[in-house]
Amino acid sequence: MTAIIETNGLTKRYRSVTALSECTISVPEGRISALVGPNGAGKTTLLRQLAGLAAPTAGRAVVLGGPPRQDPAYLAEIGFLAQEIPLYRRLTAHEHIGIGAHLNPRWDGEAVRARLGGLTIPQDRPVGTLSGGQRAQVALALTLAKGPRLLLLDEPLAALDPLARRSFLAALAEAAAGGELTIVLSSHLLADIERVCDHLILLARSRVQLCGDIDTLLAQHRILTGPRKDTTAIARTHTIVREDTTARQTTLLVKLNGPVIDPAWAVEEPNLEEIVLGYMSQDGASPGASPGYGPGAARMQAIGEDR
Amino acid sequence: MTWVTWRQYRHQSALAAALLAALAVLLLITGLRAAQVWHSALADCTKDGTCGSLANSPLSLGSPLVATLIVATAAVPLLPGLFWGAPMVAHELETGTNQFAWTQSITRRRWLAVRTGWLLLAAAILAGAVSALVTWWSGPYSALQANAFQANHFDVTGIVPVSYAIFAVALGICAGTLLRRTLPALAVTLAGFAALRVLTSQWLRLHYMTPVTVYSKLTAPFTPAGSYLGVSNGIITPARTPAVAGANVPAYGGIPIPAACQHFMGNNSASLHAIVSCMAAHGYRQYLTYQPASRFWAFQGIETAIFIALAAALLAATFWILSRRDA
Repeated sequence: MTAIIETNGLTKRYRSVTALSECTISVPEGRISALVGPNGAGKTTLLRQLAGLAAPTAGRAVVLGGPPRQDPAYLAEIGFLAQEIPLYRRLTAHEHIGIGAHLNPRWDGEAVRARLGGLTIPQDRPVGTLSGGQRAQVALALTLAKGPRLLLLDEPLAALDPLARRSFLAALAEAAAGGELTIVLSSHLLADIERVCDHLILLARSRVQLCGDIDTLLAQHRILTGPRKDTTAIARTHTIVREDTTARQTTLLVKLNGPVIDPAWAVEEPNLEEIVLGYMSQDGASPGASPGYGPGAARMQAIGEDR
Repeated sequence: MTWVTWRQYRHQSALAAALLAALAVLLLITGLRAAQVWHSALADCTKDGTCGSLANSPLSLGSPLVATLIVATAAVPLLPGLFWGAPMVAHELETGTNQFAWTQSITRRRWLAVRTGWLLLAAAILAGAVSALVTWWSGPYSALQANAFQANHFDVTGIVPVSYAIFAVALGICAGTLLRRTLPALAVTLAGFAALRVLTSQWLRLHYMTPVTVYSKLTAPFTPAGSYLGVSNGIITPARTPAVAGANVPAYGGIPIPAACQHFMGNNSASLHAIVSCMAAHGYRQYLTYQPASRFWAFQGIETAIFIALAAALLAATFWILSRRDA
């Protein structure tokens, strides 16, 4: 299967701050990939570079067979939705559809109208007067109307209520069903994206912690629970991602490198959230750190999520 | 992209057109009246043969308020720079809408080129229309007062206002792209425009071409024909050096009086006349360095070229910044 996105050592520095460091990922065609990580982990930076809005400081990205670039043919294949849902506040949804029609070789304005009509979103009012959720729906519909081969969505679910999230994700899954559309969406809502995503990129501390098909990741990891004991024997064969020790017992998240033989450990299959949290709270962060408040979140938030 | 530009600027264009129409109505009404007064005065003086002294007659061509408004149109070319140029890129960056625009199937360069092109055209049309109205309106005044070359007239007539407007828009776009914020870009546009305009009209313009110097007798001062631009004037000694009042040289109205003529110094007008005659007899002459009225259009052309060239440099910088920097 061909990779739609392939990056190698992609690095982005803003003066003294490193927003993305040595990012090497690969996303095969047709996947719906979840880009997760705490605030300021570099998700937006990565998506902006893939969309060609920002250039890397070092490393390179190959997207749809070439580097992201200022080229109408490349841009026509990319659908990008920024986190702040930027639309012209004084223009109506209808006028935005007109703009898209004039700026894109492929454009399905009818699909936008049908979609917004189905959601009973007024198309003749300035989008600045719509609610945040409605605006997000307009922006999403416009992004899909381009008919891109790669959709890059930065926190598209944040402004939506649970019902709208569900219908939006269903629409995404449907759009990707043909296997020709690849989607990368960043989100904090693991439970939501677990339903539709089949690929995961985990960024933390501006580095890639995990990248791969979710099924493979699930198969590679186990949760081991046992009496409090020395873990060096486990660490010799497997990679301990995270270790939680209480007075009585030790719980380990390990990346397997073969079967676990020691019968003292109870072996369980983790769910995606346990794996993600395990990697995000590495390096001595407090156990049970929730997504969005993981290590580095406070530090990086000051620098600005949108960079 | 043209359609997109029109969609985003149609309200502002309508506002500009309405203001222009209001100005046009005002200037047409007052201008027609002034022209009428002027032509009847011309007809009268031709009959009497007194047209030579028309400039000194108390002829009123209209309200001085409108004349003030005419001088104030010097600010018109700045307005497109402030309201169209400065926000053009900066406002998109501020609201993040550039991320929408620049991920459609169009390159940033093309986006910038089309938008900039239309805004420049609109600004040129606006400034050109106002300038045409003002030039027509000022006809009788210029004829009466021979002031075409004076800064407050030169700057609002002919073709220079068009180049000022093009420069203002280019400066606004460039400042907005560089600073990424509308308000600072507005401030830079205002300050930069005012600074360059003052610099050119008060100093640079005097030197576009080598000025003409005419020496004349003190008793028969030389006045160039038509509206000229004075660079300097004064009195020269018989040794052809400028006469400068020194600490121990008696002076009369800033003019150093040679020893031979000092005995004429008194305090009535008869003595002034005697001093002037005496100095003329001793070889003192006066000079006038000026740009003749015939150079009016050459100067309009030179100044236009300067502003257009600067605008081109600013736009080139904008393209360079926009295509290299992160969105």
